[in-house]
Amino acid sequence: MSLALGEKLKIRSMIYVAAEPVPFFWPMRSFIHHNPLHGLEHLPFAEAVEKGSKIFHADSFLHRRIYQDYLAKGKIDQKKLELVIADFVKARPDIPGINLEHWLLTLITKTENPVMLANTLTDANDVQAVLSGVALSSSANISEEFLVEQLREQLLGDRPVYESVDALYGTEISADLDELMVKSCLDFFDEGQSVWSMPERKRGFFAAWRHVARRNVRFFLRRLHIKEILDVDDSPEGVISHVMQALEIPEQCWTSYFTRELARLHGWAGFIRWRSSAKHYHWSNEYPGDLVDFIAIRMTLALALLQEQGKHRIAYTNSTINSAMETRVQEIYLSHEMHSGQVLPVMAHKVEMALSTQAEKKIAQVFDEYIQVKRQHEATRQAERLRQLAQQAGNKDALMTLSGEDLSMLLESLREFEKQEGMCWLRGMEECAITRLTDDIKLAPPIKREKRPFVQSLFCIDVRSERIRRVLESVGDYQTFGIAGFFGVPLSFMELGKGSESHLCPVILTPKNLVLEVTPSAPSNDAAALSTLEKALHDLKESILTPFVTVEAIGLLFGLDMIGKTLAPKAYNTWRKRFDHTKPPTLLLLDKLTLEQADSVVRTVQRTVIIKALEQELDFKPENITDSIIRRLRECALGNCEDLTELTQLLGTDTTRTKTLVERLRDVYQINNSFADSQLEQLGRIGFTFDEQTNFVAQALSSIGLTDGFSRFILVVGHGSTSDNNPYESALDCGACGGSHGIVSARVIAQMGNKSEVRRRLHKQGIDIPDDACFVPAQHNTTTDEIELFDLDQIPPSHLFYLGRLRKGLTSASHLCAQERLPTLQQQPVPMDAIEAYRKAQRNSVDWSQVRPEWGLSRNAYFIVGRRELTQDANLDGRAFLHSYDYRIDPKRRLLENIITGPLVVGQWINMEHYFSAVDNEGFGSGSKAYHNVAGRFGVMTGNLSDLRTGLPSQTVLDKGLPYHEPIRLITLIEAPLTHAKRAIDAVVSVKHLVRNGWVRLMVVDPETAEIHIYDGDDDEWRSQPCSTVNEQTLLEESSAS
Amino acid sequence: MTEGLLLLVGLFLPLFPLSMVFNEVFQRIRIANLRVVLLLIWPQIGLVIAHTASVEIPDWVIFWALGSALLYAFRALALREVGVWTSFIATSTWAILWLLMDGQTDFSKVALYALALSVPLALLVLLSGELEKRFGAAYTGLYGGLALSLPRLSGVLVFVVLAIVATPFFPGFSVMMAAIIGLSPHSFFAAVTVAVIWLLWSWAGARLLQGIIVGPAQDEVKTDLSLNGTWVYSVILILLVISGTYSIGNL
Repeated sequence: MSLALGEKLKIRSMIYVAAEPVPFFWPMRSFIHHNPLHGLEHLPFAEAVEKGSKIFHADSFLHRRIYQDYLAKGKIDQKKLELVIADFVKARPDIPGINLEHWLLTLITKTENPVMLANTLTDANDVQAVLSGVALSSSANISEEFLVEQLREQLLGDRPVYESVDALYGTEISADLDELMVKSCLDFFDEGQSVWSMPERKRGFFAAWRHVARRNVRFFLRRLHIKEILDVDDSPEGVISHVMQALEIPEQCWTSYFTRELARLHGWAGFIRWRSSAKHYHWSNEYPGDLVDFIAIRMTLALALLQEQGKHRIAYTNSTINSAMETRVQEIYLSHEMHSGQVLPVMAHKVEMALSTQAEKKIAQVFDEYIQVKRQHEATRQAERLRQLAQQAGNKDALMTLSGEDLSMLLESLREFEKQEGMCWLRGMEECAITRLTDDIKLAPPIKREKRPFVQSLFCIDVRSERIRRVLESVGDYQTFGIAGFFGVPLSFMELGKGSESHLCPVILTPKNLVLEVTPSAPSNDAAALSTLEKALHDLKESILTPFVTVEAIGLLFGLDMIGKTLAPKAYNTWRKRFDHTKPPTLLLLDKLTLEQADSVVRTVQRTVIIKALEQELDFKPENITDSIIRRLRECALGNCEDLTELTQLLGTDTTRTKTLVERLRDVYQINNSFADSQLEQLGRIGFTFDEQTNFVAQALSSIGLTDGFSRFILVVGHGSTSDNNPYESALDCGACGGSHGIVSARVIAQMGNKSEVRRRLHKQGIDIPDDACFVPAQHNTTTDEIELFDLDQIPPSHLFYLGRLRKGLTSASHLCAQERLPTLQQQPVPMDAIEAYRKAQRNSVDWSQVRPEWGLSRNAYFIVGRRELTQDANLDGRAFLHSYDYRIDPKRRLLENIITGPLVVGQWINMEHYFSAVDNEGFGSGSKAYHNVAGRFGVMTGNLSDLRTGLPSQTVLDKGLPYHEPIRLITLIEAPLTHAKRAIDAVVSVKHLVRNGWVRLMVVDPETAEIHIYDGDDDEWRSQPCSTVNEQTLLEESSAS
Repeated sequence: MTEGLLLLVGLFLPLFPLSMVFNEVFQRIRIANLRVVLLLIWPQIGLVIAHTASVEIPDWVIFWALGSALLYAFRALALREVGVWTSFIATSTWAILWLLMDGQTDFSKVALYALALSVPLALLVLLSGELEKRFGAAYTGLYGGLALSLPRLSGVLVFVVLAIVATPFFPGFSVMMAAIIGLSPHSFFAAVTVAVIWLLWSWAGARLLQGIIVGPAQDEVKTDLSLNGTWVYSVILILLVISGTYSIGNL
């Protein structure tokens, strides 16, 4: 059977739509912070988190007791809580004798557990009966139809059939299926971790799996009839259609059914979804696979497992489950209660025994008892919770006098409020954070400098830069700016010695230009020898028999390595570094090549290849290879010369060998015209034109408001981290550089800025960089706080005199920053000496047992777009992304639009990733690092087999089991007139939606009116308040300046 | 007469199907303290009868005891109610005592062995009571994540179960080693069977803990075991470890 094309496309489009809520998962080599609910950002925040929680079975808010603790510590604004509650109460009916506002405030601030329980059999009348101390009315017997309806809601529809079967019969098909699916994914998507790879991978995920599954003995032994299912159709769409029909899933439910299937392993699904869309990804091009393949494999396995269980008289299609519910409702109800974990513990044993007898009479007897006991239990517990609440609210008597109808309304109000409680706490928490920020804002005009600062430094907007900037400004005459860590230059980078490109820009951008790293140094023989040794060791470890011998022979060496790394990580690493291959000094190819230059490069490459070919094919010694041989060989290989006589003479061989060599040069060594053309095309991507370079530098400087008063040193500081044995290392690197170190971007912009041609063109644009101003690239190591200067050989000799002072300032800043930061990493935070803190920070970076080398971007809360003076005097505690911006030089709002399009969106992704990882670390985060294992070289799993863990590990967001990262939405502050900011936001549709839907909180501080405008996306309204730290002089200056 | 006495002893050092009496009695008693008393006294009665009447144990009884121990250990794997689990494991462990009544081991020593096997079970009964107080029943797989929500109770529970399954340094370990060492010269098969029974206990113990301790914590806050209570349990467990360590030297 083969499915019609239209049907196939329909299934493909259904899966495409079904996968929308599943977030992308990027390989961890370049960790990308992202919003786990990115696919739901079109919805208002409250609605999206409710939906996301259902899809991913995770919590979207913290537990009440944690919020209560925050409230007690003053981290939540109680007045805001009261306001939100008052708004809620306005929309609810009045209940006589009950002050609902007071009750609700008591509910969230004084009770630890939820008041409303998930009652299934009881109602307000039962609760009232218990409150009044009378027996439950027998007339309210629960009808079987009611129970069947409840079961239908829970078991049918878009719920995967095997989940329903598990809930009904206590089978473990879901777990089995997930395990088999993970194994299949590990086999296919492996990126070199396994020594033996899956056969036929080039044919694609489904085809390769199909090829193996049809011959899989383990499936046969488990009596899974995979082959019969696969024989139905060759295509994945055909198999999916067949299984869905076999399970009798109504077609209108297919899309939501697929979503639930994908959400069960959303890490793998997210990776496959990203991978199939990443056109530049080598592994994807080599071994293609998409979510249609994934669903097809999953459905095949699911049907096979269900059929196997079906042999034990288990219903596994929609109609048979439905029929079982209708004909054996008592047994099915009890069975569902038992196996779905809803059974009353006190009756669990009895129910289990009755079900095991399969005796109708016994089951009916236990069923009747169970229903009564459960109803009584629910009513009693509910009444008890209400009583406690009433007592805490000081209104116990009112509860007793409520009519049945009023009690029902009260219960409904409480239930509705508890559903919205999370948003209430969140808004209270954000209000507090907003107040803290508004108190810190200073609208005083910038102090006019008498002389230019000693150094101007451009740091990444990353929250970790806030500390080092503040400290650096305090140790000397340093002026700092914040700009996205790729400095506005999206580029693709090919590192020295690597054959693949990495994108150094936010993932929302696709770079066009390629930058090559080259070195004038000759390759080191030592390095080659060392890498050969490493390769040999690797091979020895990975083959079948040699590990045993290897352990005996050189195991002790590894033991010494382990002892050194464990007992004295810092000293041992310093010693070991001497054996590591050190990277030679490198240059970056930044300028576009002319056609002649590109042609020359191609010739040079061809020449090198020909020399290698001669060495390998004819055993020629390098000294015997003359230019004339190379030239002649090249011409022959390119087809420019047909006569091989002269070449044969030069080579000293016979014509046949020469002919063979030429053919091999064409076919194997790629010395041919078509390959040369493609090389020329690739070379065309290298570098930037002078116009491009000028624009990038101008844009970078203008966007931060640095257009005059340039210093002698303009430090361009990228950032990166160093840690050992840490799959999440990349998560600590620069998000704006695609999860890589920021130094390359810093070197690129510095190199551009130092070019005289670029400066000449900048001068024409009104940006006059003096001749003695020198851009110096540097890297801030966020784990150690060290700032290392790069490309010092390109500094003018006249500047060398000042280098000592610069280094001293940077070192002092590093020490002070470590001193401020290190106590937060200690079990018991105690103040420590700056040198000691710095030393400990360095140890963290090389300690392989350290699960938390730094806090990374944890506790991020603010995104501030404005002049440095706005918050320069405030200690923002490493919680703010700081982007420098001066609205006065951006009348058309282009710069602001760029800032909110790129950096703000990246900041929001980072913020949301931290938010969700903190509120439910198991659901949205990746759990503890201690149990992680690297999977396929692109992700981590918990234990040896699990879903790919997305989000952040507990060590990044939790401290002693409680959130270290205080989860709030990103509070974005823009310093600009309100209309200016509003228009910029409205002009960028994606950001407008983020603001309107409440994914970021927006504040605008208007320097011209000295007012702070706060937008509340949840209520869709602006409110304004005067800025407390402002005087008339400021207003005057701002008005005149604008 | 000897057969009659053997059957009587078989009631208290339970042999299947006589073991059903103990299990029925144990499950009918709902008061934790009474269950504790029952666990401590029941095997001692059997031992006293056997000792007083100087009953000689024929070989076939040894195999009967092994069969009973194996049966109950195997059944315990599938149990979820902690009370039933306790009685089944008790039945299985006490059946092992038959292997030690070889006439060469002192009565007092066997009586201590019986006590050493019963005390952890008695502790588990008390802990079951604590679980019932909080959740309505001591039942696995219904409310997981106790390690996070009730760390003290979970910690004690883990060590008590370890003691029950005869982990090294607990006295049960010495009992099992004594049984294996005693049997191995006569019947390798019987010694291996004891080892298998031991393995099944560990498996059953692991399943019990897995169904209660691990998993995500429940949202609803429950009161943990009191500090004093934790100390009492800890002291008893430490005493068990000391006695277990001491008894290893006598093997």
